[in-house]
Amino acid sequence: MKTIAPMQTERLFTPFLDSVDGTLCLPASATAADIDAQAAAHRLRFPLILDATVTLHEQVAATTHAPASCRFGPYCDNILGINWRLPSGRIARIGERVVKTTTGYDWLRFLLHSGRRFGEPVDYVLRLRPDCGFHLEARFDGEIAALRNCVHRLLHSGWMHWWDAVDFIAEGASVWVRVAIHCPPGEARIFAAQLTGIASESQVRLTLQDSRPPSFDGLPDMVIKTTPDRAIGLAGELAREAVRCVALCYNGVVHVHLNAGEDIGERAHALMQPHLGELHALGGDWLSRWLPATPPTVTESQWIETLEQAIHGS
Amino acid sequence: MSLLSFHLQRLLPRGRVLDSPAQLAGYASDALGYKSYRPDAVVIPADAEELVGFMKGARQLGVPVILRGAGTSLSGGPVAAQGGVIVHSSGLKRIREINVEGFWCEVECGVGLNELDAALKPHGVFYPPDPSSGPVCTLGGNVASNAGGAHCFRYGVTSNYVLGVEVVLLDGSVHRFGGPAGGRGPWREDWKRFMIGSEGTLGAFTRFWLRLLPVPEKVWTFRATYPDLRSIEAAIHALVAHSSYPAAIELLDPRGVAMVESSQMAVGLPKGSFMLLMEIDGPAALVDARVEPVAELLRKAGSRDVVFSDEDAIRQKLWKARKAAGGLLGQLSPDYVVQDAVIPKRALAEVLQLVYDEADAAGIRAVNIFHAGDGNLHPNFLFDSRVPGELEKVELISERLMRRVIEVGGTLSGEHGIGNDKAAYMPLVFGPDSMRLQWAVPAAFNPTHQLNPLKVFGNRCFTA
Repeated sequence: MKTIAPMQTERLFTPFLDSVDGTLCLPASATAADIDAQAAAHRLRFPLILDATVTLHEQVAATTHAPASCRFGPYCDNILGINWRLPSGRIARIGERVVKTTTGYDWLRFLLHSGRRFGEPVDYVLRLRPDCGFHLEARFDGEIAALRNCVHRLLHSGWMHWWDAVDFIAEGASVWVRVAIHCPPGEARIFAAQLTGIASESQVRLTLQDSRPPSFDGLPDMVIKTTPDRAIGLAGELAREAVRCVALCYNGVVHVHLNAGEDIGERAHALMQPHLGELHALGGDWLSRWLPATPPTVTESQWIETLEQAIHGS
Repeated sequence: MSLLSFHLQRLLPRGRVLDSPAQLAGYASDALGYKSYRPDAVVIPADAEELVGFMKGARQLGVPVILRGAGTSLSGGPVAAQGGVIVHSSGLKRIREINVEGFWCEVECGVGLNELDAALKPHGVFYPPDPSSGPVCTLGGNVASNAGGAHCFRYGVTSNYVLGVEVVLLDGSVHRFGGPAGGRGPWREDWKRFMIGSEGTLGAFTRFWLRLLPVPEKVWTFRATYPDLRSIEAAIHALVAHSSYPAAIELLDPRGVAMVESSQMAVGLPKGSFMLLMEIDGPAALVDARVEPVAELLRKAGSRDVVFSDEDAIRQKLWKARKAAGGLLGQLSPDYVVQDAVIPKRALAEVLQLVYDEADAAGIRAVNIFHAGDGNLHPNFLFDSRVPGELEKVELISERLMRRVIEVGGTLSGEHGIGNDKAAYMPLVFGPDSMRLQWAVPAAFNPTHQLNPLKVFGNRCFTA
């Protein structure tokens, strides 16, 4: 086979909307409104929105998951490609516009939540999902043991695939479970019947609300990634010190919202210290948008140096 | 005994080093078959400790090291393209833990995919990636090639389910990237991302932590045939946007249909038709209500024979043609090459026509059996490598196909990996900056390219 000559320029993404594949390329500075402006006409949506007022880049930098990650996975499974500005100012294409690839090493997932350590995103290629036209939000109230039982029933059955979100929320002394559903209007009564049954079996109170648009939690001040079975306990414990904790139950993610203040980073750091040992043993992690990344270990410093040489073009 | 075998037997107990020609013959190729590279030796560590011991000594051996699961790769991945020692992972086959409350399991790299499925079943959870080699392939091979399968359209591929990996590097150091929680662990960066899909070029896997999902309560399988490419394309476009979120959307082209119908596996598909096979799943209350709308969608796109069922026995019959087609390829031709490109679905009809035109012009038989929902093409080119010029024709068709795939916005591989089969096409994908980033990854973990050389990038050559 003859040798194929190397390309002289990057094959960058240019803005597009592919209504057949359900993919959309737009600037990292886009907001939920910008996505909607293009996607809604094709009955498509990007479900991983945490805060409608900030840019996609800010959301992805703040956390790896959104409530709808319960059904659709983390951001890195829903962002297919990026135009990435390297520290040199040059822009490289990372990833694809198609929904699956195993072509080369996975820089996309490596870079996506790497902060600004290796550069920054210029454009994202998003994977959109069918907009079925109807949002339903359920709230379960009750004792914490009953709510745990309720979450167990929500997650440990075939219905789990069809909840957009199953979140345990702790705010001061109050706790409740929020379930988001997105479905065709004709299926809403089927979901409502199932939720009613779960509430009855779990002995918790159910409130159903049609909501358009769905409620957004805003950017968390810190994010903890643990296992699904530990997320509720951790959220409950941290809520004693925080304003609000939202546990994304299937993903094992806890979004922590703190009181504003200049020492917010220090408070986040202090809050995490008692949990770090167990978290690392489980292969979990945490980040706060108010704090720099943890320094690399000696071993990984060598790997990082090699990557940085390539990134800087030397 | 060769000098290499002598040294290997100092690293591993007697009996776990293979070096006779008869023993090595079984490791000369992967499922691609037509390219054969006899390794110098094969080692079979009994456990992670032996694997670490081997890796510590391997650097001094000065020969390429190739990691291999069941050898079912379709990309020329786990073969000794530059000679050397194959490390067969069949000894590491323990399922260490199934944690249903936490939706994860911990498995060693030599565990078979279907073995894991069977172990998970009583717990009401499953691991979704389902490559057709499931009965034989190992999870190590799946993670190395980021394997997919028929149900990826909704459930995603291997990289969506790997929470953590344990890797042995060539200096014998053992690193755990992630774990049951699926984060970075104590590391600053998320190194597991590079390990998944790295095709044995960065380190040797020992074990994984994998994410699980509850088993869907009920499945409906649909089969429909279409008279032409345009009408089946319309059906696919409508299905991918449908609120039933199909789990699988598969296509068998008329040449594949003819192949099945002229075999003992015939199921009575209309001559000259395109066959579409798709599934929806979910709780009975939901999924039963979706059956008629889906059937109507399939009819509206132009099918006059939509068949569907939720009964296991009938569902197996509906899948029969799709499953038989893969097996029949090997009976029809001494050799075949299967490509794995992924394209934007609006280009499906155009790219398939290109496959037919190029193959027909070259006198090469082409059969398409693929994951249409993902736009993941699997054109199979049937040929005889003993006939002078046939392989060259297939390579020329493949190159033209790949060039067009990239032009329409697609990529070289969706689930098979690059191996040495597609390595030559990598310059079509990566520009100067992204290519530099690609090369930086093996430079960090395997700078001499001793692990699986000549794979992923054709000029990744090991120099002792």
